[in-house]
Amino acid sequence: MKRLRFILSSLQDFYKLSLKAPLGIFRRPFYFKDTLEQMDYAGPGSVFIIILVSLFIGMALSLQISAELAALGLKMYTGKIVGVAIIREIGPVAVALTFAGRVGSGMASEIGSMILGHQVDILRVFGVDPVKKLVTPRVISSILMLPALTIIGDAVSLIGGYYIAVFVSHQSASFYWTQIKDILDFENIFSGLTKPFLFGYTISIISCYFGLTTYGGSRGLRRSTTMAVVVSTVMIIVFDFLITKILLFVLGMRV
Amino acid sequence: MIVFEDVTLSYGTKIILEGLSFQANFHEKIAILGKSGAGKTTILKLILGLQNPDSGRILIDGTDITVLKESQLRDVRMKFSIVFQEGALFDSLSVRENVAFCLREYTDLTEEEIEERVRDLLRRVGIEEAIDLMPEQLSGGMQRRVAIARSLAACEPRMFLYDEPTTGLDPITADSICALMNELSSGQPPDRKGLIVVTHKVTDAVKVAERFLYLSEGRLTFDGDIDALKNTTDDELKRFIYDIL
Ligand SMILES: Nc1ncnc2c1ncn2[C@@H]1O[C@H](COP(=O)(O)OP(=O)(O)OP(=O)(O)O)[C@@H](O)[C@H]1O
Ligand SMILES: [Mg+2]
Repeated sequence: MKRLRFILSSLQDFYKLSLKAPLGIFRRPFYFKDTLEQMDYAGPGSVFIIILVSLFIGMALSLQISAELAALGLKMYTGKIVGVAIIREIGPVAVALTFAGRVGSGMASEIGSMILGHQVDILRVFGVDPVKKLVTPRVISSILMLPALTIIGDAVSLIGGYYIAVFVSHQSASFYWTQIKDILDFENIFSGLTKPFLFGYTISIISCYFGLTTYGGSRGLRRSTTMAVVVSTVMIIVFDFLITKILLFVLGMRV
Repeated sequence: MIVFEDVTLSYGTKIILEGLSFQANFHEKIAILGKSGAGKTTILKLILGLQNPDSGRILIDGTDITVLKESQLRDVRMKFSIVFQEGALFDSLSVRENVAFCLREYTDLTEEEIEERVRDLLRRVGIEEAIDLMPEQLSGGMQRRVAIARSLAACEPRMFLYDEPTTGLDPITADSICALMNELSSGQPPDRKGLIVVTHKVTDAVKVAERFLYLSEGRLTFDGDIDALKNTTDDELKRFIYDIL
């Protein structure tokens, strides 16, 4: 019973945070410097790992699909399948998972250690709202940076796919890019870019929430960081399914 | 005037404070003693309204702060200057920016004025030379001093609150911190700024405090001056203050 009450009140706190943090964008004071610093950490700081991850995902996908399609004699369609898979599904999810592992865990542990070191208490004593000072900049930076990283990741994946399709599977380079161009229509791009916005919001709120609720020394910090990554990961995958479902419905596509 | 009325607080099933009551004037020099995990830090957080009790009232100058909203608590918090365990400096900011934090947040001072004020405050706590360092480059004693300077920049307090100001310091550094605390709280009551220091280091507590409270099992089992403390009949407290007997 006590446990249930605890879970309910935690959910309530989480819900409040998820509303309050984005509202901080519209109310003074604004912490531009903190936001810029967070953007720098989350965006440019993640580019290298995103490129690395995306390149290999693109190559692996292209390799597998070329092999399957070759058996059917259809391997020239590799570009289309790889393209749709990357832009609509795998790209956003892979980049978001990487982002949760790198940036989300960082948010949780940084805020968590600020809590343990009483720095957050000091902020409150000085009359600074910790949600505005710590959470809002992180939410803004994630919402802006994750879509940008996803675009970069998608492009790199497509290049990786191209490399395999053309140089390993010996397909026509121009036909590969023609197919990619074909699938870069409004529907695919819209679906592909709605996801990272939502994922960015989800990852940052979850990570900040676990950071802010840290207690109990270094063990507590471990718990917060782990929870931030685990819950973000699960939520990314669940939301991916839900968003795909909703978008297919909204865009009027039949399964 | 700080008044605790029957304050109770627990985390889950763990009771931290149980019906705690005491009164303190702003000019008093008080040490709250207690074992690790007794809830000493919690008492300071309650005074500042950083935490709410499960039940009971906390009156600061007659206002019950347990019912105030975060925005209304600012005036209450301005009456105190708090130095948390280990100093709680913002570790992403230099010493200069730590001390300047409130000046930048709440005043329209120019860069030169801020620089001058920061140097003044650092001089007052005796470490002007550390102005360009980052918190991780400071020793424990220096961190406390910067924290004191930073809290003085926020406001001229009526009372200082110190959380374990000498824990983890060597005896000489600890002694110099005690001297600084005494200097900041010098003067005669009722004009002087008092202090509440929560600590488990009795030897340092007797250097700064005139009144002693002992917190055990969520209750205050002792409240008195140094003579009463030395003549206590409480067995647990006797063991706790063994060093000064
Ligand atoms: N958010 C929290 N959730 C659960 N337990 C907590 C929380 N905050 C503090 N506690 C527990 O409450 C007790 C009192 O905490 P407090 O920090 O006031 O102790 P303390 O007397 O200052 O101890 P120390 O000497 O270690 O600083 C501790 O046992 C601590 O583990
Ligand atoms: Mg403590």
